[in-house]
Amino acid sequence: MLLKIAWRNVWRNKSRSFIVISSIIVGVWALVAGTGFMNGFMVSYISDSINHNTSNIQVHHPAFSEDKDIQFYIENADAKAQTLRNIPGVTAVTKRVLVNGMIASAKKASGVEIRGLDIANEQQVTHLDSLLIDGAYFEGVKRNPVIIGAKLAEELHVRIRSKIVLTFSDKEGDMVSGAFRVVGIIKTSAVNLNEGTAFVRDADIQSLLGIGNNYHELAAVTQTLIEEQVVIGKYKNSYTEDLIEDWKEIAPELAYASNMFSNMLYILMGVILTALVFGIINTMLMAVLERIKELGMLMAVGMNKSKVFFMIVIETIFLGIIATPIGLLCGYLNVRFYNERGVDLSEYSKGLEAFGYSSDLFPYLEPSVYLTVAVGVFITTILGAAYPAYKAISLKPVEALHKI
Amino acid sequence: MSIIQAQNVKKTYNADTIPVHALNDVTLNVEEGEFTAIVGPSGCGKTTLLNILGGLDDATLGHVEIDGTSITQMSDSDLIDFRLHHIGFVFQAYNLIPVLTTKENVEFIMLLQKQDEKTRDARGMELLTEMGIADKADKRPSELSGGQQQRVAVARALASKPKFVLADEPTANLDSQSTKDLLDIMLRLNEEEGITFVFSTHDQRVIDRAKRIVYLDDGKIVNDVTVKK
Ligand SMILES: Nc1ncnc2c1ncn2[C@@H]1O[C@H](COP(=O)(O)OP(=O)(O)O)[C@@H](O)[C@H]1O
Ligand SMILES: [Mg+2]
Repeated sequence: MLLKIAWRNVWRNKSRSFIVISSIIVGVWALVAGTGFMNGFMVSYISDSINHNTSNIQVHHPAFSEDKDIQFYIENADAKAQTLRNIPGVTAVTKRVLVNGMIASAKKASGVEIRGLDIANEQQVTHLDSLLIDGAYFEGVKRNPVIIGAKLAEELHVRIRSKIVLTFSDKEGDMVSGAFRVVGIIKTSAVNLNEGTAFVRDADIQSLLGIGNNYHELAAVTQTLIEEQVVIGKYKNSYTEDLIEDWKEIAPELAYASNMFSNMLYILMGVILTALVFGIINTMLMAVLERIKELGMLMAVGMNKSKVFFMIVIETIFLGIIATPIGLLCGYLNVRFYNERGVDLSEYSKGLEAFGYSSDLFPYLEPSVYLTVAVGVFITTILGAAYPAYKAISLKPVEALHKI
Repeated sequence: MSIIQAQNVKKTYNADTIPVHALNDVTLNVEEGEFTAIVGPSGCGKTTLLNILGGLDDATLGHVEIDGTSITQMSDSDLIDFRLHHIGFVFQAYNLIPVLTTKENVEFIMLLQKQDEKTRDARGMELLTEMGIADKADKRPSELSGGQQQRVAVARALASKPKFVLADEPTANLDSQSTKDLLDIMLRLNEEEGITFVFSTHDQRVIDRAKRIVYLDDGKIVNDVTVKK
């Protein structure tokens, strides 16, 4: 009967209940939609980076990372790549030769990182071919093809079939140069790839460097983030001499951004829920004061304090139970709508791309977030009900009955 | 044995500011089966006395025993439980839970006493029939007249099988016909079922029907008359 009373009390002052219900709906909706947008932002930012840039896992010679000295290549890279490929959960592995140098066109020169690619496997790992906006993936010329970013091409004033010269130090420390021909131009939101990288075939650069059939980097893609540590562990069991890292270690700024985003989500949640708590306290306090005589009468005739407390908390929980699913549904539909259509951020994307965001945002939420929100709102409701309920039970029945 | 024993009860409101001596050394015993009216002008201390007898308020000085149990030192929560099992209350207004039906209101008190559904249902209906409002069982209080509401309140007060019923000016808001009807019911319950009533009033028509009249003035009992009929 306590439930019955609480339930009917909800409908006693319809407009007040409506206000509480709609504020919870709006709060939940805002929470879900806001979280969905921010999360979509983060997920696409991180997955863009992993898909086109860092991959999930990379292997280097431990000394290579410091100053990128080309002498520190990975021993037996072919065998190690094969080992990685055979670990369950790994979907693709590629090998790279890395060297820093200069890129020069007829008009201009610029510093550049040269990546010598195992071109077939690179497609599987970074989908470099999918970023092409002009030309073809290492096709069109027989000797020394090169792919560069759109920004770099613009800077150097080169186009498809333009000749460029790459200059760098070889194994002995002597400067060597090679003439390459542009076969493809890529465009991506990742700044380093767009402005500062030249992609060539592994064999072409290996012979110029004089390092034989050796590589500086292995990059591996795993099915999901979950397998990363398992794969790393298995690799370390086989080879102890190499440095193997996940994307968080390779690009700490990514991990940092991911953390920052989660913190922002918690802050957003905190702000909205705090506002809700005060809203609920306010209205439920009104509900209690309005019923002060009735509550006094109930305690006078023998309803104990815990029952009175419970009754008011239940009443508030009912409001939450009505409102939360509606809010979640609105939020879910909102997120799904934009997840299918995408949100065009191109107006702002000039600034955003500089930070490495793609210009289309796809809001997205893990199903578990809905549960978190529901639990959060539930707790909020109870918190919001507690103070008014406490006020109610601190009434003395005589005083309550005498209030006019 | 007396069901109510109040000894040298004093009540002073606002003791530390402007003291109001609402009750001044009141000693009163009520026996089982009485039909007692506490009578006196407004402000003489009727409500204060009933509140103290009912364990709703505590005396500044003095001692109250209900059915042999001292309630003077009881904690608030023990008192709530004590009231639930020993005392029936009828107030001047705001007696009923507006969101419950008449019958649910009567059953509610039995639910608090943890009585089973069958008992609640049977006794609820029985009481409403006794009060002549069985046909209003499924109506909400707001759909009832003032007199009918007070009859539900009496039914509610009796539902818990209390030792006695305290009623503070139960007819104050009623017209004369409803007043007469309510008094008829209370008297019948008193005579046929031996239920003890202690009620306050300043209405002469009500006073005329009491069996014992306790006159209160300025916080003191000035006269105590048992009417022989
Ligand atoms: N809560 C209170 N605080 C201060 N004075 C009170 C309070 N309740 C009653 N009084 C005073 O005590 C006296 C008795 O009041 P009350 O018992 O309500 O009288 P009655 O019910 O006979 O009209 C009155 O003078 C009244 O003003
Ligand atoms: Mg009074």
